[in-house]
Amino acid sequence: MRAFARLAAFASLMCIGAALLVAQQLPSLVTPEEILGGLPADGSRWLTFGGDYSNRRYSPLTQITPDNVSKLAPQWTFQTGVLGNFETTSLFRDNVLYVTGPQNVAWAIDARTGRQIWRYRRELPSNLTACCGLVNRGFAMLGDKLYMATLDAHLIALDAKTGSVMWDATLGDYKVGYSSTIAPLAVKDKVIVGVAGGEYGIRGYIEAFDAQTGNRAWRFYTIPGPGEPGNDTWAGDSWKIGGASVWVTGAYDPQQNLLMYGIGNPGPDYYSESRKGDNLYSNSLVALDADTGELRWHYQFTPGDVHDWDATEVPILADLIIGGQPRKVVMFANRNGFYYTLDRTTGKPIVAKPFVKTTWATEIGADGRPVLLPGNIPTEEGSVTCPDLTGGTNFWQPSFDPATQNFFVNAREVCMTYYSWKPEYEPGQRYTGGAGQRLQSEPAFGALRAIDPATGERKWEFKYITPSTAGLMTTAAGLIFSGDAEGNLLALNSRTGQLLWHYQMGATMHGTSPVTYMVDGRQYLLVPAGATLTAWALPQ
Amino acid sequence: MTWNRAIAALVLALAAVPWLTAQDLPEKNPFEGDPVAIQAGMGGFRQRCADCHGTDAHGVRGPDITQIWASGRTDAGLFRTIRTGIPETEMPAFIAPRTSDREIWQMLAYLRTLAAPAPTDPPRGNAENGERIFRASCIGCHRVGGVGGRLGPNLSRIGASRSVEAMKIRIRRGAEDFRPGFAPVTITPASGPPIQGVKKNEDLFSVQIMDTRERIQGYEKDKVKSVVDVTRSAMPLFGPDRLSESDLDDVVRYLQTLRGFDPAVRQ
Repeated sequence: MRAFARLAAFASLMCIGAALLVAQQLPSLVTPEEILGGLPADGSRWLTFGGDYSNRRYSPLTQITPDNVSKLAPQWTFQTGVLGNFETTSLFRDNVLYVTGPQNVAWAIDARTGRQIWRYRRELPSNLTACCGLVNRGFAMLGDKLYMATLDAHLIALDAKTGSVMWDATLGDYKVGYSSTIAPLAVKDKVIVGVAGGEYGIRGYIEAFDAQTGNRAWRFYTIPGPGEPGNDTWAGDSWKIGGASVWVTGAYDPQQNLLMYGIGNPGPDYYSESRKGDNLYSNSLVALDADTGELRWHYQFTPGDVHDWDATEVPILADLIIGGQPRKVVMFANRNGFYYTLDRTTGKPIVAKPFVKTTWATEIGADGRPVLLPGNIPTEEGSVTCPDLTGGTNFWQPSFDPATQNFFVNAREVCMTYYSWKPEYEPGQRYTGGAGQRLQSEPAFGALRAIDPATGERKWEFKYITPSTAGLMTTAAGLIFSGDAEGNLLALNSRTGQLLWHYQMGATMHGTSPVTYMVDGRQYLLVPAGATLTAWALPQ
Repeated sequence: MTWNRAIAALVLALAAVPWLTAQDLPEKNPFEGDPVAIQAGMGGFRQRCADCHGTDAHGVRGPDITQIWASGRTDAGLFRTIRTGIPETEMPAFIAPRTSDREIWQMLAYLRTLAAPAPTDPPRGNAENGERIFRASCIGCHRVGGVGGRLGPNLSRIGASRSVEAMKIRIRRGAEDFRPGFAPVTITPASGPPIQGVKKNEDLFSVQIMDTRERIQGYEKDKVKSVVDVTRSAMPLFGPDRLSESDLDDVVRYLQTLRGFDPAVRQ
């Protein structure tokens, strides 16, 4: 009896305590409105791949400035203990980080100390067909759940408080080449995800799942089936194994309820005889109704591609004044070497201009198609084209600063001899029909470039010794954070390109980008590099 | 009895694992002569191997590998070399799943189509005289079997990793490109004379070198007057005036005998 009374007293104390705490905490469930709010001025969260649905990776935080950035000091380092490297964007909410790593291991980490709160590890089959590393690009978060795509082509929901699996949905059959590395995107009551496997003769798609139940809501095939518009852009049955994968998170325009996703290369990558035609919607940006998955418009950057130039770069949304007119645009630096500003209500190009040396097309014509130069079709003997297959840029994240209206991208200046031949399709096996060999005669280099999206002109550049594959982040204080291929974390003035600070991380930030947030009144910079996460802040 | 049987089955199953793994790797290339595999292997070879071994596999930085079967190597052995790489050389490991078993076999099937017989010409030159010349002229910078300088590449395995032609060209004409770690560089410090050396590493802010006195040291670029890449190799040229044709044959004959690991390094 006394024990019961004690328990009751304890319980009521707990309730009071909880009520007191709640006043200072974020609500325990992540709402769609909270995500819609993007990156708040108080730095309390980073809830999506691109920071907000526009993918700008532009933080309003201003505690770290061009004047004091050189005083940043490490606060803690987290090591994965897992073979492989980060390609992730970390999520942050209520002083906790949610991070995916290689081999589908993931963590919740105390943002104050870098200490693990929980760890999740997926049992993966040994015979995975992952072309390009056992990587993952991050979580989505909604309600009480985190969402992660897996290398064996599932989408799983984890309990954000414990890391235990709440549901597990199958995206595709990994045995015939499907996998998934993309960071899912939570939109309203759904989770959007896509499949990788463009080098294995898959037929790509984007899917939406009910965030609560894991039931499939819709599927958009990135290659139209028979009877659908665009199926005739694939010769014969080539549409069945045409690739067009989806492995980089798109943008979402709430005003139009429109998802915009970049689509991967057609397969076989370098050999187009068997798939004559434009091969829609490979190498395109597709705009889908977020509720139904219905296609509203598309723009194909590289019709009938033979250089493996997936349009799996990150689209960024903004409203700009161009030629005196307000325009709703989507900005896109493409692997094919051109930078594009498209009208996001129609998908029509407003600006299209090379941002690296580009030898396959002179320009983008009035009809929106590239004006091709001869001699750029790969052959068995080889043909030289710029850019190389990795492209003028690739999946590493660009950034956009609305204050200066600059679009930033880590660009590559590399050319390649492309070879091609007729391949045979066999389920689960590579199906590329060619190869590339980088030119040794022209030294490759890279540069961080600031581009004016109204004209495509370069505002400034910062050159690297070798091409960087790091993602970018800008802040309202006028900073841009990048990394080079030699392992340096770099902070530059985003208005001038002047280098302000650097630190040797010991590994590159390949395909990752820093995020920033506030903990206990201090602005943190979180940098994934190799198998470590390091948190930086100004000295107290 | 049932338990005993189960345990026995388990023991057998466990014992079978390594046996199975060993058996999984066939001695013969299962794709040899398969035209589709050969074509796919050509792609893999050009993408992964040709930068070092040359599009024709006759060797650029890496060795000529057209005579690799003639030298006695087996399919399974070459498979393992590609899978695991060669320690202390530039030959990397091509690991799964990024490079599948099948892709390695395909590359070997392609390479097999380039295979040449062992040369029938009798080897030229006198290795003993070659060694004498080497000890007089080369050993200051090149190490063989734990003896010699460190500024240039270690040549303890050079006989296995370079063709006769490639060696002759290097000696006569010097290096036209530099393998990583041996690009010449001149650093002019804030005070004192310039420092010559070879570059071991570099980023935007620093450079790490071995200088001509074999001191390894890093320099911060903003604390020195200049860091200048030198286009000419630190290796002197040995034209016919310095090294006769027959002496060149002798040196190369000696270098061909260098095929082992550095005995100073315990295996």
